[in-house]
Amino acid sequence: CTRAKTLSSPCVLFGQRALQNCSADSSEDPFLTSSTLPTCLPFASSQSVPLPFPMAHGTTTLAFMFQGGVLAAADTRSSCSGLVACPASQKILPIHSHLVGLTSGTSADCALWKRILARELRLYQLRHGRRLSTSGAAKLLSHMLHPFKGTELCVAATLCGWDGGETGPGSRGETTKNQMTDLFYVCSDGTRLRGMLFSVGSGSPYAYSILDQGVHWGLTVDEAKSIAREAVYRATYRDAYSGNCVDMYHITSKGWTRRNREDLKEEYYREKERRKHEKTERRDVTFSD
Amino acid sequence: MALEDVCSFKERSVQHKWFSFSSLGDAAIPFPMSDHYNLRYSRLETSENNCGVPLHFFIPPLPHSSSFIKRPLSSFCPPKNSMTVQRPFRLAHGTTTLGFIFQGGVIAAADTRASAGGLVACPAVHKITPIHSHLVVTSSGSGADCMLWERILIREIRLYQLRHGHRLSIRATAKLLSSMLHPFKGTEMCVALTLCGWDNGPKLIYVCSDGARLQGDVFSVGSGSPYAYGVLDRELRWSLSKGEAISLAREAVFRATHRDAYSGNNVDLFHITAQGWSQRKREDLKEEYYRDKEKKGKKKNDKLK
Repeated sequence: CTRAKTLSSPCVLFGQRALQNCSADSSEDPFLTSSTLPTCLPFASSQSVPLPFPMAHGTTTLAFMFQGGVLAAADTRSSCSGLVACPASQKILPIHSHLVGLTSGTSADCALWKRILARELRLYQLRHGRRLSTSGAAKLLSHMLHPFKGTELCVAATLCGWDGGETGPGSRGETTKNQMTDLFYVCSDGTRLRGMLFSVGSGSPYAYSILDQGVHWGLTVDEAKSIAREAVYRATYRDAYSGNCVDMYHITSKGWTRRNREDLKEEYYREKERRKHEKTERRDVTFSD
Repeated sequence: MALEDVCSFKERSVQHKWFSFSSLGDAAIPFPMSDHYNLRYSRLETSENNCGVPLHFFIPPLPHSSSFIKRPLSSFCPPKNSMTVQRPFRLAHGTTTLGFIFQGGVIAAADTRASAGGLVACPAVHKITPIHSHLVVTSSGSGADCMLWERILIREIRLYQLRHGHRLSIRATAKLLSSMLHPFKGTEMCVALTLCGWDNGPKLIYVCSDGARLQGDVFSVGSGSPYAYGVLDRELRWSLSKGEAISLAREAVFRATHRDAYSGNNVDLFHITAQGWSQRKREDLKEEYYRDKEKKGKKKNDKLK
């Protein structure tokens, strides 16, 4: 019932759950405590609500940089311990025209933090007249998540973006990458990493081996799309918590473009047909050395 | 038993108890260590029920089993006994082993790193052991347990062959192994073996100390197994040639060692056919890593031109 009272407070305030514990008569007057929020620092560890089910981080998301921009792909299954809660969820959330976030962890937390990030980036753009770079967005998200370190908040986001000319020249001195794509992995436990290739979730090991085999800078756009699709498919093939469809976003200087969601069931049956055909071959062939 | 002397199993104050497999249902009757073949159970040797194989093996009395061998704690076995010795490190099942069947027989491959928590205890371990001329077994889990059970399996298979004049089939070997491991279910013993062999056709069977016994076409076990599965699922076909199969197995182990911290160093490869097993020379994956890096760098430069 204390939760219902705090919903009527005007805006999202950080660390409000923690502050309910630090006041002497916490259950009595939540309005008083919420009014003191702006002046108090939120505490890192809060008394937690027992979770109704164990979190499983069941997903496969991946993103990599190549000469044609950044490619991001993810499956669409939302799982909730053994149940497929939603077979058509969206794990790749566009934040603005040139920045896309891949989410992993708790879907509810990810959806909320994506909206908060989108709001903060838009405010920054309106105040300063230029867009925040991907690196800045990653840093901002990381700092916003920091007060929740140690709680059950679980957000593992991969930010893929294109930084236009407004963010300033010469931010990266590498000559081979004469473009402004950037790829960051931000996690609610405080990690913030820049890289060329990331895969997050329970299906990520399966995807990593495929990506390590085939991803290099010189891929064409079609090759990159096909390898991303193959990596997600292989992860959904083996991992129980990933599945259903694959979403793919391609980020270039012109912004992000989305490929039609593709049901991996078709791919699975196509492969099964191929293997069945092989099995009949196998019965006919005598074992040779 | 000589093996037991070598391992110097010593109890604090409790006497060794030897249990025969068939007596597990009854109350445990300890009989003295020196009397290996108790007259009471001599009929087991020629019994029809278990094909004359005396399943004599010792089961340490469970409440005190932890005292003499420092076996790493398995994170997957439920702790039934509350009295356990403090382990010096956490068991990680760090390995990548794989096996698959194709038209040319069976391929078994594994890395060679033995890890103990964060330490690489040994960079050159043999995880694939030949049992007889047409069977090899890849091991995963606790290194000590696997080594012991491989030796026990070799002994039992050889005894069967001597007594009956023909070799035990691989499916029966798997069943034998599984039933030998069964009394240890629930203890900290952790053994996950993949039997790769040939008897009237290629066979691949996975046996685990949890009780699983599965026959299949492709198995990969260990912390690096998801990485290997990704590569194997993609390219495995029945119709691969021998060279392609070997290079696929090598690639799968390489990708797993690239990403998994607990797998690494070298790759061992065995190929089993109707003529028996043959071993490929152990290969250091460090070279492969540099070659792969160079290849990707070359591709990058090619595209930029």
